[in-house]
Amino acid sequence: MKNKRKSLIYSGLGTLILFALIFLLSNCNVSNEIKAKSGAQLWGENCLRCHNNPSPETFSDVEWDVAVMHMRIRANLTDEEAKKIAKFLKTAN
Amino acid sequence: MKNILILPVILLFFTINAYSQNYDNQKFEKMSNDIDSLKELSKPGKSKFLLRGYSHSGLEITEENTSFVGGSFNPIFIYKQSDRLMFESELEFELEDRNLNIGLEYANISYLLTKSLTVRFGKILLPFGIFVDRMHPAWVDKFSSKPLGVGHGGILPGSDIGIELRGASYLGSSKINYSLYVMNGPRLNEGDEEPDEAGQLHYDNFPDNNKNKAIGGRLGFLPLSNSSLEIGFSGMYGKVGSGNSQYADVASKLYAIDISYIQNLPFMQSVLDIKTRYSGVITDNADYRDYDNLVNPDAMYTFTNQNSTTFAQIAIRPAMVNNKILRSFEIAGRYSDLLTPEGSKWASNLNQWEFSLNYWLNWRTVFKLSYRTTEGEVEYDEGTDSPVGKAFLFHWAIGF
Ligand code: HEC
Repeated sequence: MKNKRKSLIYSGLGTLILFALIFLLSNCNVSNEIKAKSGAQLWGENCLRCHNNPSPETFSDVEWDVAVMHMRIRANLTDEEAKKIAKFLKTAN
Repeated sequence: MKNILILPVILLFFTINAYSQNYDNQKFEKMSNDIDSLKELSKPGKSKFLLRGYSHSGLEITEENTSFVGGSFNPIFIYKQSDRLMFESELEFELEDRNLNIGLEYANISYLLTKSLTVRFGKILLPFGIFVDRMHPAWVDKFSSKPLGVGHGGILPGSDIGIELRGASYLGSSKINYSLYVMNGPRLNEGDEEPDEAGQLHYDNFPDNNKNKAIGGRLGFLPLSNSSLEIGFSGMYGKVGSGNSQYADVASKLYAIDISYIQNLPFMQSVLDIKTRYSGVITDNADYRDYDNLVNPDAMYTFTNQNSTTFAQIAIRPAMVNNKILRSFEIAGRYSDLLTPEGSKWASNLNQWEFSLNYWLNWRTVFKLSYRTTEGEVEYDEGTDSPVGKAFLFHWAIGF
């Protein structure tokens, strides 16, 4: 029983620390080099890491909205990356 | 006389002009109304739906037989309900042993809590290592068959049911991504159903066989500002035995380290793609009933339940050359191995090489011509093909 309570406390603490870390990290300074990247560049760097780079003309604007959100979650893209890449794909399709 | 004639002509001209202008105005108004109502009809709205998927099949020439295989069809439904809420699911229709198998690969809801944190509920592809959630679709995988250790006969988890927190953040010019999950976790094969697999872990654990939930996660680090390199660490821990049995306290630890590297090679006008993963599965030792001992039906046996598996692959595609045919080709090579416990009834020590020449019709349609050779020792069921030997595999896959 005691052990159970202990492990509960530990996992609770662990989760809290993780959240604190994520909160700190999300406010971390982003370098200017990263900030200056265009949607086209981010598409060129990120979308070929797992499969061939998808050509913009594959989808309509609405379809890209869904596909990029899917990839944002699957490929752990940052918010900025997802937004810039979606914007690029929707102008280049 | 002339003037008398000109006057009605001018009058007529103005009347016609006024009439036609009026007509044009009416037409214009009607057209703009039509456009407005079309716009109304095609207003995108906030919820958006995408039906996608993939299919593959192939011809396999092994030492025992030659057969067309596969014919799998995997529809994927992706539904974006708002800028924060999404649902994804994949079904798998596959022909196996003269039957049609239908599987639910994943079905889950994601909600973007903050810019850098998303929560997912449901059946998810576990971010354990990199194969399953990043490379498994046949149009993504550069080889005709899966590496040793994953999928059927493998030791690694694929998908599970539970809750996950995931996201990504910048660290200066680097990036990190993280995932932390609570799942049903693996289930221990205690030997009463399939005695030959006693001590193996199964990942189709629903409903859960015990009260304990497995916890796990993956931390990915992308040190270079162009995201070309990623190093990932995955881990998972949970009790795996049934809650009310002698195996109740048997637990498993799973871990993996993975590296991915993508680089343009300007001197070869090519893209280099390297991916590798090492993974271990350690389950507490336990005694299992020896059903093969016909003299003493109560006889028990045990073994050190440690497993490991590796894959390392490299692919080069001359994607930047001018010749369209040449840049559609890709060559790829992969090593994989699998070590399962000595003394168990599923002991194996296998290693495999697979080489592939691929032709990409477009970014998601591929023809793969592969040669595979597998060596080592393995226990396998009588009447089934040996996993050891050489094979030519010709597969084609389409993503849509
Ligand atoms: C971490 C690996 C990874 C990265 C990086 C990645 N993808 Fe994907 N992508 C996948 C996988 C895996 C699938 C297949 C999904 C499935 O079948 O479950 C996929 C599928 C797709 C599809 C098919 C439609 C769909 O949503 O399934 C599109 C389009 C796509 N990716 C676009 C992109 C774009 C654009 C980027 C860059 C922003 C990108 N991908 C980056 C792994 C990745």
